[in-house]
Amino acid sequence: MKYLLFASFLLIAVVASAQPKIGTLSPEITLKNLDGKDISLSSLKGKVVLIDFWASWCGPCRKSMKHLSAIYPALKAKGFEIYGISIDENKDDWKKAVAADKISWLQVNENGGWNAPVANLWKIDQIPTSYLLDKQGKIVARDLEGRQLEAKINQLLKD
Amino acid sequence: MGPGKSVNMLPLYRAFLSIKIIVMKNIVITCLIIVVCTFQGQAQFSKATIQASGLTCAMCSRAIDNSLKQLSFVETVQPDIKNSAFTVLFKKNETADIDALRKAVEDAGFFVAKFTITGQFNNVAIKNDEHIAIDGREYHFLHVQDQVLNGEKSLLVVDKSFVTTAAFKKYTAATNMQCIQTGKAGGCCEKAGLSAGTRIYHVTI
Repeated sequence: MKYLLFASFLLIAVVASAQPKIGTLSPEITLKNLDGKDISLSSLKGKVVLIDFWASWCGPCRKSMKHLSAIYPALKAKGFEIYGISIDENKDDWKKAVAADKISWLQVNENGGWNAPVANLWKIDQIPTSYLLDKQGKIVARDLEGRQLEAKINQLLKD
Repeated sequence: MGPGKSVNMLPLYRAFLSIKIIVMKNIVITCLIIVVCTFQGQAQFSKATIQASGLTCAMCSRAIDNSLKQLSFVETVQPDIKNSAFTVLFKKNETADIDALRKAVEDAGFFVAKFTITGQFNNVAIKNDEHIAIDGREYHFLHVQDQVLNGEKSLLVVDKSFVTTAAFKKYTAATNMQCIQTGKAGGCCEKAGLSAGTRIYHVTI
């Protein structure tokens, strides 16, 4: 029992310290897309990537995605990609929202809500939460919005 | 809507059976029991719909989700974007604690803007501005027609901290009883068999 306790403390400590930080390389994420196919974050290496945590029932997330929809096509052409992670526990809700909002970027779902492994590892306490990665997969910024986000993406695309 | 909707009819049926058996034994006692049962009403609540508000989107916070899920009687917490609300399903055969739900919302840094509780009713007679025991707790109905509740019904909780201040004022005006202010039985209710300080939930339909 004691060992078990110790082991779980150790595990918690490791998980806690492993929270991705700005300036460090992003850990690998592999989740399934709408077709049930595995999509890895590492497959996007060489591109500037925005990891966007959201859910269909999150109003502010849907609103921020409207802005993303507007800037996405032009930036994608220059080497930008969005890795959208929905934490919806109901996959149908996720699919409906993707269709309703006409989201054209990469979409994966982590079934299990707030306490699913990836959301836990990234310490997602509220959504929307987003992380911007440079071409090497290094975390550059968190929760940028609007013009600031667009400017940063453009700057990273030039690097 | 998920598992919480299933109706637990067995205890109700049993209660009915037991009354029937007594009928044969003693009609006077039976009448008494029927009166008591009708007065107490029988219902089991299965879920609550809670609209929480605060400075930021309440549903978008992990804190409130965790806070609600930590309650022992909560089965699931589902965000509902259409109503900007949480649907909290209760575990079967467990009595939900309405105040604990409110506290969970407040502990997460939000407050309750709207709170409805839904359950299956079986011949629960309610009267306007009167107290009635349902599922072991005291309820005080406001702004209602006298009626008998059957089937799935939702009650809107109108106690302080469960509605907006404006709405609370409106419901306060609907009764002369002082319990609306505190949510607790005053000395006046002792005649009716309620000890002072008993929690009374103020609700409407």
